[in-house]
Amino acid sequence: MKCELCHKAEAETVIRKKDAGEEQELYVCRACAHETARGEAAAAPKPAAAPVPSDALSALPLMGMILDAAFEIVGRAVNLSELTCPACGITRSEYRKSSRLGCPACYEAFAKELDTAVLEMHRSLQHVGKTPEKARAMWQRQQLENALSDAVKGQRYEEAIALRDQIRRLSQPEGQQGGLA
Amino acid sequence: MILNLEAGMLSKRARDVPADGIAMSCRVRLARNLAGERFPDWATERDRERVYVKVRDALHAEAPDFLVEPVAAYEEQEREVLCEAHLISKDLLERAAGGGVAYAADGSVCVMINEEDHMRIQGFANGLDMQAAWQAADALDTRLEGHLDYAWTPRLGYLTACPSNVGTGLRASAMVHLLGLRLQGETEAVVRGLERMRLLVRGIGGEGSEAAGQIYQISNMDSLGLDEQAIVQRVSRICAEVVRQERNARIRLIQESPLVLVDCLARSLSVLQNARLLATSEALEFLSAMRLGASLGLFTRMKVPEVDKLILTMQPGHLQKVSGMTLNPEERDEMRAEYLSRKMTNVKLKC
Repeated sequence: MKCELCHKAEAETVIRKKDAGEEQELYVCRACAHETARGEAAAAPKPAAAPVPSDALSALPLMGMILDAAFEIVGRAVNLSELTCPACGITRSEYRKSSRLGCPACYEAFAKELDTAVLEMHRSLQHVGKTPEKARAMWQRQQLENALSDAVKGQRYEEAIALRDQIRRLSQPEGQQGGLA
Repeated sequence: MILNLEAGMLSKRARDVPADGIAMSCRVRLARNLAGERFPDWATERDRERVYVKVRDALHAEAPDFLVEPVAAYEEQEREVLCEAHLISKDLLERAAGGGVAYAADGSVCVMINEEDHMRIQGFANGLDMQAAWQAADALDTRLEGHLDYAWTPRLGYLTACPSNVGTGLRASAMVHLLGLRLQGETEAVVRGLERMRLLVRGIGGEGSEAAGQIYQISNMDSLGLDEQAIVQRVSRICAEVVRQERNARIRLIQESPLVLVDCLARSLSVLQNARLLATSEALEFLSAMRLGASLGLFTRMKVPEVDKLILTMQPGHLQKVSGMTLNPEERDEMRAEYLSRKMTNVKLKC
């Protein structure tokens, strides 16, 4: 995936940037991440100018080293917000380096980037082949459980009861499903 | 006089060039993973061992006739033999804990455990009978899915360690011998055409390998967006067209450049009969020519199945297994030359 700022280098990290009062999440290269951090530092309100001591010029190389170290820290801080799979813990850059995902949940964790890659590889984003019944039922149950959790959090209790009943029906053996005996 | 004789003998052969044997074998592979488990490359030894046990138990329940063993249970030579027979990959050989292999007694189906994915179910068949290979792999997969929780979603299908296999997880491939096209200088055009049709073309050893002996592996690139039957039929249809082109190249070779063909066959036979040292790749080049000659019926006492057997048995693992010794590369080259020379003693070129 290309950097969303320079559109040239490969994106390596994710940053948050305010644009017209709205915060955006951008996938950017290392250079653009540093540039953004520098820009933000420069835009920050500065203290009133103090008189320059006579020996200040001789300290410039030292200042340079301090600034480099500061940028390195900023860089690392930016990387801390790198996308990580909550299930297996691998980061986006680890996946990119090895071209291998960490676990099935990575498909959801890195969905935005993976959709682009998968579409490029296969020219499709929709499976049309074999459906393993057990896995399909497991997936359906997981979706209902997620929806139930959301409904409870949102205090939508009628919806939650309906979802709970659906989950119960899924758990019943096939012969006992449905309202008619 | 000799040339006339060659031309007469060969022109007769040109009318009867067989397509059989150009496609050597085919395979359908299904990549499968278990939900809630890390993919093998990122898994700990304990994770991989756990997956191995789950898969082994499922195989014991559904395919009791299969031999299921950890890769580590095999001696180094035996592992090489399995690899040379294309039952397991080099990647699996290097996998320490949790790597396993299971195969049916008749060799029609094999499962690699904890290779790139938790399972790689492979169905094999002769020639271009890709339907048979697909049915063998599909039947085992369907039986196993009742015992294992596959990682699957309605949108992306079977989830795999590398997104290039996601969807059906299916790779249908055929191994084809294209020496006629090489001698006619047409291989590159055919390979480019296949790549334009979104097919992968690789050497005999799979990903990243050279097409030694002009033996190519052709397989599908897309595994998502088409169903399994559509993929298998498409690869099969295109490979049949490649076989037709190779056959035409062989006919033209006989009609237009008989001397080139006969020279190639005579040199190859001569080297195999007389060489004292032969490396695997070198031997494969000469056996490739022998295979072409045998398929055209131009050798006495040498048919295509015999050449195919030699292509397998002259490889390092098989050679050492037959000799019962562990050999260094130079000793292997010596033994290979001696072995092939013995097999070629009574073989003669008919023209």
